[in-house]
Amino acid sequence: MEVKSEDKGGIIVLTPIGRVDTSTAKIFEDAAIAAANTNKKIVISFKAIDYISSAGLRVVLMLGKKLTAEKGVLVLVDMPDKIFAVFKMSGFDKILKIVSTFEESKQFFN
Amino acid sequence: MLLEVKNKMEEFCRISQEVQNFCTEHGVSEEKYQNISLILDELITNVVSYAYPDGNQHTFTINLEECDEKICMCITDDGMPFNPLSLAEPDTESSIEDRKIGGLGIFLVKQLSETVAYSRVDDKNQLYVKVSIL
Repeated sequence: MEVKSEDKGGIIVLTPIGRVDTSTAKIFEDAAIAAANTNKKIVISFKAIDYISSAGLRVVLMLGKKLTAEKGVLVLVDMPDKIFAVFKMSGFDKILKIVSTFEESKQFFN
Repeated sequence: MLLEVKNKMEEFCRISQEVQNFCTEHGVSEEKYQNISLILDELITNVVSYAYPDGNQHTFTINLEECDEKICMCITDDGMPFNPLSLAEPDTESSIEDRKIGGLGIFLVKQLSETVAYSRVDDKNQLYVKVSIL
């Protein structure tokens, strides 16, 4: 598992690749914290994720809480249906911004 | 199918393959296989992380059986007495500021299964989970 990080016009886009489970969540967490320490506008793209467990959900929630507290913004995009199902089950669709594409995420960064 | 598992996360990869083979043999749908895989991931994580605070190597078991179009899973460990079903459920209505970070794994297990039951038998924790095949 690895996490790609790129700057798209002042927004950091994190793309975790592979499975986010207990054994790999730390890599995701380190990348998320590193991004949040340098930029408060963050998008996570889930296009290259085929599996997420509660260990990965925890990282997303932690990042969402951190950015909310620091007046930043977190938006989640490109989520496959089966990944969205797990977010919805956890009630995360109510507390996190989830949209289809990176283009759509831009509305939250104005 | 009875699997013996050591209390370290590296075991998950091997177990995952065994479970996939078992599910294919028993005609489990792709969606239910994904659910079973997530359930076992969460339960193995709990045992590996919390059951054996002494840090020594231990072995616990996972039993998988098919009965009446259901997959029954039983995880048995001889670690500290702990009923994961006694944990408070996360409040899925709370705001992001108030939302607590823990308790999500067992909550997902409950959401994804038909039945979850805990018992303490012969100084062992037994967690029994049932999921339908289709």
